[in-house]
Amino acid sequence: MSKVASVLSLEDPPWPPSVDEFFPPGLFGIDWLTKFMLMVWLAIAVIIVFFLVAYRNPKVVPGRTQWLAESIYGFTRDGIAKEVIGHEGVRFAPYLTTLLVFIAVTNLFAIIPLLQISPNSHIAFPAMLTLVTFVLYIYWGVKTHGAGGYLKKSLFPPDVPLPLYLLLTPIEFFMVFIIRPFTLALRLFANMFAGHMMLLVFTIGGFVLLNAGVLFAPISLLSWALTVVLTIFETLVALLQAYVFVLLTGSYLQASLTAEH
Amino acid sequence: MTGGQPSQPPTSSGGNDGWIVVGYLLSGILVWSGVGWLIDRWLHLNGIPIAIGAILGAVGGIYLVMRRFSP
Repeated sequence: MSKVASVLSLEDPPWPPSVDEFFPPGLFGIDWLTKFMLMVWLAIAVIIVFFLVAYRNPKVVPGRTQWLAESIYGFTRDGIAKEVIGHEGVRFAPYLTTLLVFIAVTNLFAIIPLLQISPNSHIAFPAMLTLVTFVLYIYWGVKTHGAGGYLKKSLFPPDVPLPLYLLLTPIEFFMVFIIRPFTLALRLFANMFAGHMMLLVFTIGGFVLLNAGVLFAPISLLSWALTVVLTIFETLVALLQAYVFVLLTGSYLQASLTAEH
Repeated sequence: MTGGQPSQPPTSSGGNDGWIVVGYLLSGILVWSGVGWLIDRWLHLNGIPIAIGAILGAVGGIYLVMRRFSP
């Protein structure tokens, strides 16, 4: 093995990458103080500071930071809240924007050097975000239609022969109260988990190939080239999943608010 | 079809439609084969209720999808 290779390889890289990579030890000997905890705090701090700075001294003709903040909010308000929920959607725009920005920032941690993993690759974070959305759309459904009205609306599709309800109502129940929140959380979690795993495979895989002998060493370059491509891909996925999560939140809210789905 | 409503409410951009279809089909099959499984546990019928449940559920799921997306 050449000297460069042995320097590059550090010690033996853990291969194949496993789920253990997603459970870094607690910092400073405190179990609950993990990298993920710090990243969530960091995300919140970044978002608060960004919007405070952007709106500290608002002008009619916005500067660059204010313009960025306004476009993010405008995009969510017009592109998601008004578009999906309708006229009433404007009042949900602050929640949807917060959700979008938080998920986008935490997702983008997956590709930021040193952080390099998204908190959303732990099911706990998407699950909590989903819980908020879940409670919100049920709350608004019950508030708009009353508890009975909301259940009737979501469980009993109109214009159906009476005996068919026996078949359909359990399906609708499963769909609205179980499949919806589960897929919402799982989609975000699985995308970020798989993305991190993929980057690990190609990055560490490069080192493994380099150590594997002269014949395999050149292939490691291909592996690292793919890492670069996949990093760009991962950026797209990170932003897209944030958008999808918020879009679906909007569409569930819309289903709760309208008279008939 | 619905004369009372002024117009079709603005539908979300098609991205959600696929999930609705998958969700209905999945929940149909899961719920009713689950019921079939319970009946099978109870009466020991060699899994036949599970098959019947799965088919029934698929029918229900497809029916709901058609209802949702027929104009």
